[in-house]
Amino acid sequence: MYRIFSAVLLILALPFWLKAQETATLSGTIIEAETGETLIGATILVANYNLGTTTNEYGFYSFSIPKGEEINVEFSYVGFSSVVKTLILKEDQTINIELSSGIQLEEVVVKANSFEEQLRSTQMSVEEISTKEAKLVPVIFGESDILKTIQLKPGIPSGSEGTTGLFVRGGGADQNLIVLDEAVVYNANHLFGFFSTFNTDAVKDLKIYKGGFPAQYGGRLSSVIDVKLKEGNNKKFAGSGGIGIISSRLTLEGPIEKEKSSFMISGRRTYVDIFTRLANQANEENEDFSPIPDYYFYDLNTKINFKLGEKDRLYLSGYFGRDVFGFSNDFFNFDFDWGNATGTARWNHVFNPKLFANTTFTYSDYQYNIQNRVTGFSFKVGSKIRDTNVKTDFYYAINNQNTIRFGAVATYHQFQVGRLQAGSDDGEIEFSAGQNFDGIQTGAYLSDEITFNPQLKLNVGLRLSGFFNDGDNYFGLEPRVALNYILNDKVALKTSYARMYQYLHLVANSGITLPTDIWYPSTKLVKPQRSDQVAIGGSYLLNRNLFFNIESFYKFLDRQIEFVDGAQLFANDNLEQEFAIGKGRSYGLELSVEKKEGSLTGWIGYTLSWTRRGDFDLIDNTRFFEQNRIGDFSPIYDRRHDISVVAIYEINRRLTATATFVYGSGDLRWLPTGRFTFQDVYGQGSSPVVPLYEGRNNYRLPAYHRLDLGLVIKFFPKWGESDLTINVINAYDRRNTFFIYLEPETVTDINTGIELPTRVSANQVSLFPILPSLTWNFKF
Amino acid sequence: MKFIHFLYIAFAIFIVAACDLEQEINIDLPDFERGIAVECYLEPGKPFRLLMTHAEAYFAPLPPLDETFFDILLVDSASVNIIHQGVTYSLQNNFSFDIEQGKFFNYVAPQIVPANYNIDFDLNIVTKDGRTITATTTILEPITIDSVVVEFEDEPRNDTLFARTLTYFNDIPDQRNFFRRMVHLSSLDSIPLQDFSTDDRFVQDRVVFGTQFEFADGDTVFHTIFHLNEDHYNFLESTQNAVNGNFNPFGQPSPIISNLESDAENITGIFTGLSFDQVISILEE
Repeated sequence: MYRIFSAVLLILALPFWLKAQETATLSGTIIEAETGETLIGATILVANYNLGTTTNEYGFYSFSIPKGEEINVEFSYVGFSSVVKTLILKEDQTINIELSSGIQLEEVVVKANSFEEQLRSTQMSVEEISTKEAKLVPVIFGESDILKTIQLKPGIPSGSEGTTGLFVRGGGADQNLIVLDEAVVYNANHLFGFFSTFNTDAVKDLKIYKGGFPAQYGGRLSSVIDVKLKEGNNKKFAGSGGIGIISSRLTLEGPIEKEKSSFMISGRRTYVDIFTRLANQANEENEDFSPIPDYYFYDLNTKINFKLGEKDRLYLSGYFGRDVFGFSNDFFNFDFDWGNATGTARWNHVFNPKLFANTTFTYSDYQYNIQNRVTGFSFKVGSKIRDTNVKTDFYYAINNQNTIRFGAVATYHQFQVGRLQAGSDDGEIEFSAGQNFDGIQTGAYLSDEITFNPQLKLNVGLRLSGFFNDGDNYFGLEPRVALNYILNDKVALKTSYARMYQYLHLVANSGITLPTDIWYPSTKLVKPQRSDQVAIGGSYLLNRNLFFNIESFYKFLDRQIEFVDGAQLFANDNLEQEFAIGKGRSYGLELSVEKKEGSLTGWIGYTLSWTRRGDFDLIDNTRFFEQNRIGDFSPIYDRRHDISVVAIYEINRRLTATATFVYGSGDLRWLPTGRFTFQDVYGQGSSPVVPLYEGRNNYRLPAYHRLDLGLVIKFFPKWGESDLTINVINAYDRRNTFFIYLEPETVTDINTGIELPTRVSANQVSLFPILPSLTWNFKF
Repeated sequence: MKFIHFLYIAFAIFIVAACDLEQEINIDLPDFERGIAVECYLEPGKPFRLLMTHAEAYFAPLPPLDETFFDILLVDSASVNIIHQGVTYSLQNNFSFDIEQGKFFNYVAPQIVPANYNIDFDLNIVTKDGRTITATTTILEPITIDSVVVEFEDEPRNDTLFARTLTYFNDIPDQRNFFRRMVHLSSLDSIPLQDFSTDDRFVQDRVVFGTQFEFADGDTVFHTIFHLNEDHYNFLESTQNAVNGNFNPFGQPSPIISNLESDAENITGIFTGLSFDQVISILEE
């Protein structure tokens, strides 16, 4: 480790040895002309000097050009008209550029970054998706979902049918750092995972890192999903929304003070509960009618920003979402709600043309609460995690050979784990359980993007992370390296290495992320998880409009947490006793071909991968029998082949047809291999068929495949634009497996009253048949 | 108008298709070596008796419902001994059906299980084909039900005044205790209205288990509290988890946690003492 540290320091010192040139710095911000939104990843190119850069995640750019010489600088962004400026720089200069998307009606804008920029970038293992693209791709119930759509990219297999659980390159569902305007979102799901918490109307940009993690990110092993909300149109008042089968949404945005400050507010709510309540009321007198539980979700995104001067900008944003489930009858009242709340205050400051800083205060809260009230008794259970975070990031473009990023972050975590309160109204009976923890997580990083020459770029970084929990202190040294070698103007070779530490763990007992899963901190016995990922790949620009990418990865996972068999999860004050700690590995190959301009756009992705877990040791070796010990196994999401095809065809200005096809090797399931008859003690009937389970995840489900079709019909009324989006999910009505269960059939012996088995069978449950939907969307 | 027709057709397709989301399939499970399941509950005052059956591959043919049923289900010709305080109780391979309890056994001894609490009983089985199974257990002292309180609702529902029962007992302090609670209506051979196992993590001293307002005036209710040892509790919980895990897509299945030890494959079951207290209440308004 010491050698790695020395080597990193040596490389980081390189910029100070490189010969300085007589240059001036050109810097500024690139924004969208129509809305004033900053553009992330816009390209700035000085062709005659072979110089170029892109705007960072805050729309800021900075680079050096020779003094006193006439240069042509081209500012461009895919789908926007380019701007070319002829400049002679005698000193540092700030130029803010507005790019117009006036051509977008004729051309579908599907990707933020140009292929050329992807070719030049050291960043590999990253996938992006635009909101425009997400809105076109067909989705269940027509509910546009950017997080679900990005699962169509290679290397990001989803969980079970219909869910948003992400298992990136063999990582677990808890190993994804999901940040919304830099605030952590702990549960990015609505409706048990059928929808994500991100309202596409409010999202500006979504990027997912699968590997080669930049040093500014830490805290999760397998991916970083960076979601940025729209800032709000600072030029004119605008709105957008939609009415769908199960929900409606509305987004409003506009200037507070024109071109200086703006707001954005976006909300949505499902309304199935309105109809189920009516059905319940209509059947109140019907004794055979079982009341339908109430369920709805809603979320609200808000953001305002202020331009405080030429060098300062302040952003305030927030998210609040809740899922609410309720059921009551003569005997009990059951309420279950869960959701996230986040808040972000962000300050951008330009110290000078080379140095940009972003300072952020964030607040995150995720909790679930279950209440049940029976006459005379009540019962409450819940869990909560709350973060308060401060972070500062600096972006320092020393010269065209070196761009340094450095920063620090501190997060105060508060956990309430398995909080339980129950008792009688008269106070005679009371009991409670639950644990409270708190901890501080810190990180500091330094990285340098070094351009040795136009062919060779190296990004090297180091992150030092730490976690402090009641005297149990952990530190992690996380080196990050990424190298890009451009063979010619069409081919680039890339490689990367990243070590990540994860100090928080999600206590989940199934492959499906549930709202009741509990976040648990590192403690004396539960040490931080760690991963080391190596990736190597290449990019080939087949032509200006067709991009081929290949990557191979190997990921080592250490201190992976699994539950022992028969773990007691409910309100357990010694939850750690139920953990087993082991290792894991995953490796594979990802291929993709993407086309993003012209009438036909889209991509084809293929992933071949293996994932394995093993070498588990129990934390508490005394409590369990040999049967509890966990052998080696593959997680349920160990998917050998995964193919996705996305095609978007713009027939004309009014009509766009879309299709997605996915094929995946079946997931694994843990099915019983044997059975026995359990007679039990007297007073209880016998169980003639009790399943016997052996090794975990021993059965592979049939292959999963599905074709979804969509048609977007646009209208151009005077007040703006609207469209009807028709989706047909599962167009050829494939019965994909959600769940398999084995069922015994029995008869009761009339002489003895004993139940006797007559037949056993396997049954498959599917979630979605062919599923059409219609959504009306509008914007003005 | 054509568009409306399209929607109707699409909706009709959806409804028809949605009716068929569950179907029987053929699957090929991994191999399973035929094993043995043993149940032996040492109940003071009752004879020593044990049930030994075959554990089969899940899709192995089921025994036909005729006179051969028990011949195929039961493991016969094994040597079964229980040793307690130096005395060996040999259980003979005789089929026995307890009419009162509705339970059958294929190994019985004439001797009665002594009410010797917290003293080891050792089980030793050797099957005809040479497989050995051993286990050790004790009989715990029963926990006494302190009282059963009957409460009637203030107002009748559908012209009936419903009642609930509250069963009180005292936890044994300074040790971890496990309980099984059963409630039967009218008779003990009915399906229990409540049947669950729990431990005493949440309670200090006094424990109460309640029912819903579901009984009517004149009902006979059987309240039973078993005092389980940890092995029995783990076995019951894992059995329940195994059954639930099979049917619940959100649940985690569990192998059966058995206290039987063997060098052979797929040996499962429970050898435990059985102690309980029972109160029968006839509800009166």
